[in-house]
Amino acid sequence: MFYFFVIKMKRFKGREIMKKWKIGVAAIAAVAALALGGCGNNQSGSNSKNVTMWIHVSNTDPEGKALQKNINDFNKENKHGYKAKVQFIPRSGSGGGYEDKINAALNSGSLPDVISLDGPNTAAYAHSKIIQPVGKYISNKGDLLQTIKNQGTYKGKMYAVGYSESSIGFYYNKKMFKEAGVKPSEIPTLEKPWNWNQFEAVCKKITDHFHEPAINMSLNDHSEMSLYSLAPLMWSAGGSITNPAGTKAVGYFNSKQTTSAFQFIQDMVKKGYTTISPKDKGFETGKYAMLMSGTWEVQTLQNQYKNLDWGVLPYPVSPKTNKEVSPTGSWQYAMTSAAKNKKAAGALINFLVNKKCMYRSDMANTVLPARKSVSKMMMLKVGPAMKFFIKQNQTTGHARPVLVNYPQVTRTFAETVQDVTLYKKNPNVQKVMNNQAKVIQKYLKK
Amino acid sequence: MKSSGLKRQLGWLYVLPALLILLTFLIIPFLMSFDYSFTDYNILTPWSKHWVGFANYINTFKDPVFLESLKNIAQFVIFIMPIQVGLALALALIVNKKRPWNTFFKISFFAPQVVSLTVVSILWLYILNPDQGLLNGILSVFHIKAQPFLTSPKQAMFTIIGVSAWQGAGYQMLIFLAGLQNIPHSLYEAAELDGANAWQRFLHITLPSLKPTTIMILTTTFISAFNLMIQPMIMTQGGPQNSTMTPIYYIYRTGFTDRQLGYASAMSVIYGIIIIIFTIIQRKITNAGGDENA
Repeated sequence: MFYFFVIKMKRFKGREIMKKWKIGVAAIAAVAALALGGCGNNQSGSNSKNVTMWIHVSNTDPEGKALQKNINDFNKENKHGYKAKVQFIPRSGSGGGYEDKINAALNSGSLPDVISLDGPNTAAYAHSKIIQPVGKYISNKGDLLQTIKNQGTYKGKMYAVGYSESSIGFYYNKKMFKEAGVKPSEIPTLEKPWNWNQFEAVCKKITDHFHEPAINMSLNDHSEMSLYSLAPLMWSAGGSITNPAGTKAVGYFNSKQTTSAFQFIQDMVKKGYTTISPKDKGFETGKYAMLMSGTWEVQTLQNQYKNLDWGVLPYPVSPKTNKEVSPTGSWQYAMTSAAKNKKAAGALINFLVNKKCMYRSDMANTVLPARKSVSKMMMLKVGPAMKFFIKQNQTTGHARPVLVNYPQVTRTFAETVQDVTLYKKNPNVQKVMNNQAKVIQKYLKK
Repeated sequence: MKSSGLKRQLGWLYVLPALLILLTFLIIPFLMSFDYSFTDYNILTPWSKHWVGFANYINTFKDPVFLESLKNIAQFVIFIMPIQVGLALALALIVNKKRPWNTFFKISFFAPQVVSLTVVSILWLYILNPDQGLLNGILSVFHIKAQPFLTSPKQAMFTIIGVSAWQGAGYQMLIFLAGLQNIPHSLYEAAELDGANAWQRFLHITLPSLKPTTIMILTTTFISAFNLMIQPMIMTQGGPQNSTMTPIYYIYRTGFTDRQLGYASAMSVIYGIIIIIFTIIQRKITNAGGDENA
């Protein structure tokens, strides 16, 4: 009897075990399926008429929507029967998500035919042979802005084509300027900008009147914004980060000219005209009289701060040269080395940067155009601030350096800005520049 | 016995999913990074890796930023341990007594733990803003001069230690609380009868009874402190002047921003060894303290 019971128990246990077995196997299968499912879902079209493309924006953005329309038009209008398909991979604020995806695709060999890439990545991508020259597929190149051509050119070849431009301006509060006693006749223009001394004098007036820093120069931002927005001061003084070939920083980044621009930045902080820890929305809420910011600020001010009476001023210039310089650059399209049908991929890029498509996408996104002809079209449609930016971009724009180790260089630039703004710790700007030039030099050798 | 053999096999089967995950996400990647650490692997050119011998390892010890980051993390670990664990114990003692509003305090102390580190960091950026932040506002009430906090190379790391302790203490408070509630009440009653005051009861009953809990908390805090990255990444980007650069953040940046995966791998192998050594030492010390409760 007892024995029978034991057998029964064993049987029962056995069944139980079988059940658990199955659950275990199912669990493993599920894990394996998940692991395998992660890879290999990105087959680029083997059919040569198909073109695949990745873009860093979301399909719900105005830019994404405009791109989808442009792609649809391409599929309808091209005479070769090419079919383009775009995948939207929104990037995070700092550009993360999208570039991680590109890096992963490099390892698994699953890059699409066409990608979008940020301006400063051109050199690294071209150097690593991720992208290939695209110049011969692009028509009407003379119409493209010189800054756009510079941004997309590596070792004399055009690797990427920008479809929009960007810029920075000095936004100012008209009411606060008036209160502080800055006369409307004193307001500078692109033709007659303030030099640094005049600018500091105006800042002093404002700072003394409101007991607040006169301007937010985003000195708390240690990202790409730092080089992007502050390098024009250096270029205005005739300075540079490296020699034109991009092989030497010592003697360039610590030159008298470059140093004078960083001295100006340090003086602005030291004298209290700007701050390294600006109040959030200080300009928008009328605490700071000026804000150094990009073209994107126009929409924010128009939509959310309707009561603010504002205008845009050009960059102050070095008193030695009086040369007006503004920053440029944005995202571009490029053909990857994985592109199977080069003609099809080239045709797609050429189509997306043509007059019609560029106008549609740049108007939708309120960004500056990358073609002279599109500027003319946009000038008729946009407000005074955007008009100012388009003009500033075309007459004074300066492309960022095309360097393979750009991420390291831009970070060293940002660290240099941070170093000189800690004026008590680093009173000697030239000493900081000498050190940092050596740091950049290290990145150029590789 | 036959059935025990089956049981053993079954046991392996049960841990297999966990093992597979460990293998895929921990062991294999670790072996791969060990392999990469001897190459000039650039993330943009995975197809051209060259063997460079010990060059990456030699460069690591010559890299001033990496050495600085080791100094910073030492500072962080040394200060965060007593502050965070002490704070957690204090909070646990506060909420252990039956008081009105107790649940409210418990939730409040634990709340920072629920919020993501990124959100916490951004929140504190506002509080710590030297020009308009809440903290300097409070200090000004007491006539204390406005402090630069994160914008000063001297204060930045201490500020991050404070924020991290505030964020992390709530979780350990909960573990301490569980430990406190496991202490038999009879012990306190007996001590009271013997005429022990509150401080003596804390010193001779509460603290010794919490020993296993404390060791567990010290070990986990110690290991997680070495992984500091999110706070400096969001709040200071490692600055000013690399004063808040941590090894993990530097390894991440070298690998994924600077694209030097080979070099980053070498640094992570070295840092991994450093952590293992310190963990062993730490375990030796805490175990040497006596095993009466183990």
